Amino acid sequence: MVENRPFLTFLAHLVLILGVAFVALPVWIAFVASTHDQATFLGGSMPLWPGSNMWETYRTILTDGVPNSGTPPLTMMMTNSLIMALIITFGKIAISVISAFAIVYFRFPFRVLAFWIIFVTLMLPVEVRIMPTFKVVADLGLLNSYAGLSIPLIASATATFLFRQFFLTIPEELVEAARIDGAGPMKFFRDMVLPLSQTNIAALFVILFIYGWNQYLWPMLITTDEKFYTVVMGIKRMSDVADSDPQWNFVMGSAMLAMLPPVLVVIFMQRLFVKGLVEQEK
Amino acid sequence: MAGIKLSAVKKTYPGSSEPAVKGVDLDIQDGEFVVLVGPSGCGKSTLLRMIAGLETISAGEIVIGDKVVNTMEPAERDIAMVFQNYALYPHMSVRQNLSYGLKNRKMARSEIDRRIEETAAILQIGDYLERKPRALSGGQRQRVAMGRAIVRDPAAFLFDEPLSNLDAKLRLHMRGEIKHLHNRLRTTSVYVTHDQLEAMTLADRLVVLNNGLIEQVGRPLDLYQKPASTFVAGFLGAPAMNLMEAEVAEGALMLGGAALAGGLQARPGRVTAGIRPEAIRLRAEPGNFRLDYVEELGGTRIVHGHIGAQRMIAQTDLATELSDEMTAELPGAELHFFHAETGQRL
Ligand SMILES: Nc1ncnc2c1ncn2[C@@H]1O[C@H](COP(=O)(O)OP(=O)(O)OP(=O)(O)O)[C@@H](O)[C@H]1O
Ligand SMILES: [Mg+2]
Repeated sequence: MVENRPFLTFLAHLVLILGVAFVALPVWIAFVASTHDQATFLGGSMPLWPGSNMWETYRTILTDGVPNSGTPPLTMMMTNSLIMALIITFGKIAISVISAFAIVYFRFPFRVLAFWIIFVTLMLPVEVRIMPTFKVVADLGLLNSYAGLSIPLIASATATFLFRQFFLTIPEELVEAARIDGAGPMKFFRDMVLPLSQTNIAALFVILFIYGWNQYLWPMLITTDEKFYTVVMGIKRMSDVADSDPQWNFVMGSAMLAMLPPVLVVIFMQRLFVKGLVEQEK
Repeated sequence: MAGIKLSAVKKTYPGSSEPAVKGVDLDIQDGEFVVLVGPSGCGKSTLLRMIAGLETISAGEIVIGDKVVNTMEPAERDIAMVFQNYALYPHMSVRQNLSYGLKNRKMARSEIDRRIEETAAILQIGDYLERKPRALSGGQRQRVAMGRAIVRDPAAFLFDEPLSNLDAKLRLHMRGEIKHLHNRLRTTSVYVTHDQLEAMTLADRLVVLNNGLIEQVGRPLDLYQKPASTFVAGFLGAPAMNLMEAEVAEGALMLGGAALAGGLQARPGRVTAGIRPEAIRLRAEPGNFRLDYVEELGGTRIVHGHIGAQRMIAQTDLATELSDEMTAELPGAELHFFHAETGQRL
């Protein structure tokens, strides 16, 4: 639809600008808050322009942490978050590509049953099975470890299901041509399935990374050692102080930094992602 | 290069009661170009895919060269296949598409390069070796698909309707190229099509399949001139042969009480008689033939009409004058006679 009416153009832009403002304003306020000292914020007035305390705020949270609310330096928490998010992302992609490959291309006993069991796990995210999962992780001695942080979150079938649907669209003739060209199952997986799934993998990477990075409830449950705190739960701890006012400048600064990696992933992967979409066959 | 021998080959798909291929014997000579032709669902693809090793063989034996290949993997059979939708690897360049099968066979880099050069020259695809398939036209993709087969230098080429995704003009052109290519390479080829014109022009030997069984095998012209059954008679040739339920009495062909042709050697009795449209001689003077409509082909005309209640199609040159009532003459030597019940040639 190509319309060229000034009023509609104006209206469209207005709606878009309002939308952007709606999303961006809180982020801006958080940024501004992180550049003033604590007193300004608690004084009741909300400055709209950055103050002079930015360097001090970020230096403190990155290197010293906020000791009076029991949070370690942000560099450590961000590293933990990164490790957790990456293990979840790669673990999930690896397992789901392989299991989808097995389900689509191999005829083994109870194949359909296996698929349905995987499918049922779609209805059981961590939040639903949190008690039993916690018990299992605790019994395995995985509390306060990267494995404990990430493995329970890897176990779900969304990605398997997605890859299965994609593999079913790969033409049968392509499989046959590869068979005639002497590609066994493993070669076929490496030379055909993986390269063809590139776009899907990139898209899933973005989704899963953000999913892993934003985990809140689970890390809170299983980490008691601050060496394993993640940044999202760290922000919460920072604002939960017992006897004094929360240090909002530090909280907001941490929030700004916590937003950064997901944004970078989206920006960086988007190029790959769009390229993949454009290069898609047909 | 090698011959291919099929003995009593059968195929029943799991879960279906009727076999798709019901016992086929076929001896394909080394270097021969054999075309399998027949209506949709007659089992052409199934037979070809059994030779390729993409379908299991329910009964019988397939020999390629001097090896029984029944249980061999497709890659071990030394065949190459060209698919209807080309099945090029979309993420690989043309060069990679060609070299993939060779690399998997652990061929030396220099030999692979040499073969790709050679194949590219034969098929004139040298200009786009580095392109991905999506950046090629349908005709170019078709060439690459053929290139992928040629570069392997296999014992046999298997084609499953390789031209049916091309437009009419390009199809004609590629048909010529395949013929030319075969004359040059002389690789044993099995070619599946349901286009009888393609079948006639390409084949050294034509195999007409019907409902999972071979109806007739032979040189295209032999099949055209001496069809073994009404099925083959009706299948080969466009427009199709006229077939009519008739009677032979006292050396004449009787249709609806009128004699159509005389002086015949055929045995008296009920028959199915056939005559090719181009064998019918039409004259302008009013007679037995009622004209319904005419199709102009440019160089010739297809005249649709009736003799009595029998539909009849004739092909004439432009010089023949047309009118609503005409006389059709059916030369006795051009008539084919088939058994009225079984449809077999008499
Ligand atoms: N995978 C399959 N499972 C069950 N039946 C099949 C399968 N493939 C083919 N058939 C059946 O076997 C018969 C022969 O099929 P085939 O594909 O060989 O026909 P074809 O001669 O190649 O037809 P077309 O000209 O339409 O390609 C058909 O009746 C078809 O329904
Ligand atoms: Mg077919």
